Amino acid sequence: MAKILIPTPLRQFAGKVDSVEISGGTVGELLASLTTQHPELKRHLFTDEGKLRSFVNVYVNDEDIRYLNKTATPVAASDTVSIVPSIAGGSPAVAEASAAAAPAATLNKDEILRYSRHLILPEVGMEGQLKLKQAKVALIGAGGLGAPLGLYLAAAGVGRIGIVDFDVVDFTNLQRQVIHGTKDVGKKKLDSAAESMLDINPYLQVDKFETALSSENALEILKDYDMVIDGTDNFPTRYLVNDACVLLGIPNVYGSIFRFEGQATVFAYEGGPCYRCLYPEPPPPGLVPSCAEGGVLGILPGTVGLIQATEAVKLILGIGEPLVGRLLLFDALGMRFRELKLRRNPECPICGDHPTITKLIDYQEFCGVPKHQPEAVATSGDIDPVEVKALIDNKTPFTLLDVREPHEYQICNIPAAKLIPLGDLPKRLNELNPDDLIVAHCKSGVRSAKAIDLLRQSGFTKLRNMKGGILAWSDKVDASVPKY
Amino acid sequence: MIRIEREAWERMVAHAEQCFPKEGCGVMVGTAGAVSRAVALPNVYDGPQEDFFVMDPKDLNRVDEEARRDGLEVLGIYHSHPDCDAYFSKRDLEHSCPWFSYVVLSIKSGRLDHANSYRPDFDQTVANKEELVYG
Repeated sequence: MAKILIPTPLRQFAGKVDSVEISGGTVGELLASLTTQHPELKRHLFTDEGKLRSFVNVYVNDEDIRYLNKTATPVAASDTVSIVPSIAGGSPAVAEASAAAAPAATLNKDEILRYSRHLILPEVGMEGQLKLKQAKVALIGAGGLGAPLGLYLAAAGVGRIGIVDFDVVDFTNLQRQVIHGTKDVGKKKLDSAAESMLDINPYLQVDKFETALSSENALEILKDYDMVIDGTDNFPTRYLVNDACVLLGIPNVYGSIFRFEGQATVFAYEGGPCYRCLYPEPPPPGLVPSCAEGGVLGILPGTVGLIQATEAVKLILGIGEPLVGRLLLFDALGMRFRELKLRRNPECPICGDHPTITKLIDYQEFCGVPKHQPEAVATSGDIDPVEVKALIDNKTPFTLLDVREPHEYQICNIPAAKLIPLGDLPKRLNELNPDDLIVAHCKSGVRSAKAIDLLRQSGFTKLRNMKGGILAWSDKVDASVPKY
Repeated sequence: MIRIEREAWERMVAHAEQCFPKEGCGVMVGTAGAVSRAVALPNVYDGPQEDFFVMDPKDLNRVDEEARRDGLEVLGIYHSHPDCDAYFSKRDLEHSCPWFSYVVLSIKSGRLDHANSYRPDFDQTVANKEELVYG
């Protein structure tokens, strides 16, 4: 029978005794028997999920079990187990101090009316609505996911929303980015989004950051916020947002979309996994197409963005079960939700027990993105659309090869072009004559560069890549060709 | 509500003032919501102590054992905020334990300015202010 010493503040929950003799092979077993004997102790020691609370340290004799085998640490009959709270704290950073010095938030009559349907929910109420008003949320991206997020978080009464975006609204955005309207095309997304949000809720403070989030500015921008919502569509920024959140100790409400499928979860929440626990390594560059390349159902970011918004509001209110340790998968075509369990990886280089990443790194390099991508594509094998037009007009014999998908070809095409989608190219090489000059094109020049590589490896030598793809063709040669 | 007897209160304040401009911390021991003894503990934080404190769990365990021996219990934790108001900061909350009252002493230019007491919740998300009576 090992002895467990009960700390004095908990004696009242343990029948007023100082210590309890209990048998059990490990610390976990001892604590389980202890809380069975004294059920009131349970919530003092364990979370609802059955994990030891973060402020509870357990010692076997003089040794902290965190440095032994955690709750699996074996206990002998002669051992004494102590439960010791972990105590620390500190005066705040300057920003927090000034926020605290400000008068406590209240709701005026108009706000009470506005939030009436929240206020009558006991789970929200006045207390919750004030939490929302005092909340500070950073939104990375005012695009597909950012649109529903911005609109609904503004409407729900989140007091301060910071948006990081440097893009301009274009026509291809309007199919899904409902925070922007046709009149906004050409405007900065930041301005257009802020205008829509303030129209819904003038009590909102919008902080605008017209920049690309980078290792140099991320911590400085994000440090003033309670949480970050990731609405980005590229791997370097996802890793950057994740690492910044882990380093700042704030949750990262994650969502991603592709074609008809989406994912959402909350990373970097205390005790939960981070993005690196799920994906320790980025995929090879180019393997996962972006929405611009692969397309996306316009409604999908609405569904996924609103799952993120729901999680953000739950975290602010402290209600419900957060989407932590669970990756929610949404399949719009099957109209099904599935859940995968995620665990924090104790070996994780940033949120694990012995982190090796302690500051932000170069995420472009980490994700294998060439530093100057446009130049990388612009090899000596490039040809300008204007020159291609000249080849056609001069009746120069050559093959114009369109490597896009058939459904893209239907949207627009260059009549002289032969369509062989990139994926079919390896088995259709026999349709091309190695003696001909072959000019490849796609939508913007990336896939055709891959096609050129493939052809070169297959022994073709007279190869050129049409720079900028059919989009550039539309700009420079034939404006009647629609852009998509 | 937490009541702190004069001798204990004076000891806490003196310790907090003495630690200025660093954060001082200690434990409040007593019974039935009345603190009769303040035990100053070293701040073992190995970074800048001007705005953070950490207690050594072994020190805390020792104070708990002494309290147990004397038929008392550990009622709370005190710490100072040098040149800063006595509210429960986000960092306080994130490292708090709901078993205790937390007395925060605002020490400005080396002298006690004001103090407040808080009770944090289990999830370390909210700390309610409680009545603090001393002297």
